[in-house]
Amino acid sequence: MVFNSLQFVWFFLVVYALYRVLPHRAQNWLLLIASYYFYAAWDWRFLGLLIGSTLVDYTCALALGRTQSPARRRAILCLSLGFNLTMLGFFKYFNFFADNLHAMFGALGWRLDFVTVRVLLPVGISFYTFVTMSYVIDVYRREMPPTRDLVDFAVFVAYFPHLVAGPILRASRLLTQIDAPRRISREQLRDGAWLIAWGFFQKIFVADNLASLANMVFDPATHPTGVNVLLGTYAFAFQIYGDFAGYSNIARGTSKLMGIELIENFRFPYFVRTPQAFWRHWHISLSTWLRDYLYIPLGGSRGSEARTYRNLLITMVLGGLWHGAAWTFVMWGLYQGLLLIAYRAAERVKWFNDWATGPGMVARATSWLVMFHLTCYGWLIFRSRSAEQVGAMSADVFTAFAPRSINVQALLVPLVMYTAPLLVVHACEAVYDNLLVVPRLPLAVRYSVYAATFYLTMLFGNFGGAEFIYFQF
Amino acid sequence: MATEVRRDRLRRLALFAAILAVQFAGFEIALRMWGSSEAAPAFQGLFENDPVIGYRLKPGARIRFATAEFETEIRINAAGVRDDEEIGEKAPNERRILILGDSLVLSVQVPFQQTFCELLEQRLNSRGSPIHYRVINGGVQGYGPVQELLFLRSLLPVVKPDLVVETLFVGNDLEDAVGAAALLEGGQRPITETVREAMTTRLRRTVRRSMVLQVLRVRVLAATERFTRTAGPPEPPLQSYAAKPAPRIGSGLAIIRRVVEQMQEEARAAGARTAVALMPARFQVNDVDYANLRDAVSQAGGTLLRDAAGDRIDEVLRDLPVPRFDALPALRAAGPDVFFLQTVHLTPRGHQIVAEALERFLRDSRLLDGL
Repeated sequence: MVFNSLQFVWFFLVVYALYRVLPHRAQNWLLLIASYYFYAAWDWRFLGLLIGSTLVDYTCALALGRTQSPARRRAILCLSLGFNLTMLGFFKYFNFFADNLHAMFGALGWRLDFVTVRVLLPVGISFYTFVTMSYVIDVYRREMPPTRDLVDFAVFVAYFPHLVAGPILRASRLLTQIDAPRRISREQLRDGAWLIAWGFFQKIFVADNLASLANMVFDPATHPTGVNVLLGTYAFAFQIYGDFAGYSNIARGTSKLMGIELIENFRFPYFVRTPQAFWRHWHISLSTWLRDYLYIPLGGSRGSEARTYRNLLITMVLGGLWHGAAWTFVMWGLYQGLLLIAYRAAERVKWFNDWATGPGMVARATSWLVMFHLTCYGWLIFRSRSAEQVGAMSADVFTAFAPRSINVQALLVPLVMYTAPLLVVHACEAVYDNLLVVPRLPLAVRYSVYAATFYLTMLFGNFGGAEFIYFQF
Repeated sequence: MATEVRRDRLRRLALFAAILAVQFAGFEIALRMWGSSEAAPAFQGLFENDPVIGYRLKPGARIRFATAEFETEIRINAAGVRDDEEIGEKAPNERRILILGDSLVLSVQVPFQQTFCELLEQRLNSRGSPIHYRVINGGVQGYGPVQELLFLRSLLPVVKPDLVVETLFVGNDLEDAVGAAALLEGGQRPITETVREAMTTRLRRTVRRSMVLQVLRVRVLAATERFTRTAGPPEPPLQSYAAKPAPRIGSGLAIIRRVVEQMQEEARAAGARTAVALMPARFQVNDVDYANLRDAVSQAGGTLLRDAAGDRIDEVLRDLPVPRFDALPALRAAGPDVFFLQTVHLTPRGHQIVAEALERFLRDSRLLDGL
């Protein structure tokens, strides 16, 4: 069940109607049943994994709360992490490693018949394993006490707005809200409704329309010139942003309607000027997770520069691999790590630091432009189907740019059309430094944005099966 | 106090309504100036109501249709088919081939001279034969097999064809056949439907004049259709190609068989032969498309069999004495650029490939012999 399906609309209407009339404890039971139903709608067979993960981490956290022995605490932590990482490794990466083993041994002339099993990827496993791992680690670090309420904990893990695509929430933020009675303010209702509408706009108008442009350019059968590769990469940059940020906004909006606040997951990531800032604004819940539970435990920036660079590389490569089991994701993670290292190293040079972070108008414009294109090059790696395609498309950009071959009608015009409204609203939000500025604008302006969002989504949104109009008067 | 609140609410409502109206006008103007969708009043002007089929091409209509991928001039002749010339009287040495079908035959994406019907005509007449072949494009946007049978009935006395080729688009004709099954039964429509139609005619006319309302109408219809489907478990898309298709696909096959039998019978009574042509969907030719759709269907819990729809139609027609042509092998061999990227219809090259393959089929199957 995806947010932009009518099945979800029905589901949410029923759940919400019940939610509004039930008392607090019954609301939590309702959220648990609804969340398990939501997950089972994808594939009920994997519900056991979700429940298993919940029970293991609930038990481990309780055991951590009961013992003071450092050795025993470490053993419990290892048990929990081992369980989660084994589950994630098996379901998400088994096929990847099996295929690579096949290829490697095949190159040597050996056949490996024992790794022919294909493992299905359970939806959301990368998200909920990270959620439960962060909880156990926080309890281990004594940053929060373990919860005794299994229902509350199960809701925290399976809470349907964030279950399959985040944001990856911390127990300190969500569990406390689940535990306490909730009051839904008028402001939450208004902001929630706007976030849902805006999320659908980002998904249906921006992302799904730009997908066809990106698909056209990244189709291995086509050989676009450099300028068109660039346009296709811009399209993908806004497609992935619209898709993911849209999902996060719908998640935040539905949760707000229920009186539960989720964190902001994206904050104008394409307006930044350095890779460090990009990772503070892009998929914030993942980047902070990686920072707190991987980069800092590895030593962070506490040791030598070389050690910091190593930590950055490990964190970003694993972050890349988290996105999917493919070499292009590893390459993307490596690229992001190298970018972070390069900017970190260059920060010591005064003119570079002034340029990358200083207030001058020219410096701001040029450093933003450079950073945006560095980010886009990362997306070219991310979107490519193979290392060969990355190489071929990079060569097109750098050696066969051919500006006169720009495809104005099929690429440039739709790209501008589908990104301009998004950028206008984001520019306004950035000026006020508030992602929820639209519901707070003067009445006429606010209503104009609402109406334009409605018309643009309805008139130009990509609704799947309704692309062709068969006139039936 | 309560009155003030009510007044404030009314003021807000009026403001929102005014903003909606102003933006409506803005979008209407923009769509009319730069829009290129099939909702454009110009494109909709190609059609008119038909009491039997529902709608048909409007005799004498002439429009220019432009999108990012193509710009074409479309002319509908007095018989209601796409042609630069009138059908006219049939000369003694003239043989007429009527090709029925949907948008893949009508082909608004390419100039008339580049449609496969016209290319086929040129190819058939290029061999210096004393017989002059006339290939008539009987395609209508959005028609399914049932509407094509009804359209054939209206064309037979006008066109007087010697050969009727029913072109089945395997991508959606099974579903279309089910959707239009009621038309096949003919007879009087229920009185309530007639009354309801009369009541909504005025509204429809209004909607037809506005591009914004046309698109909104389609969105509402699509949403209504999806809402009504949510009663059961969600169904993976492309059921015609599903490994385990929904029962209605079986019904669609039965209707297609019935339509082809009926066409053959009625064409024979009018002195014409019949053949069937199968046209594939783009993903059957384009590997990237196929990979994307296969994944989408798989995610929805189904299994996509790439050529299943065509194979099923071929199977159900196998024992009928009607020669069958399948455009898939020729299009697949030609590579991915035979379909437009956005409109998923044949490119000029795709039309050439189909015309060549169809000519070969007509000669190999001796359908032209002794006409």
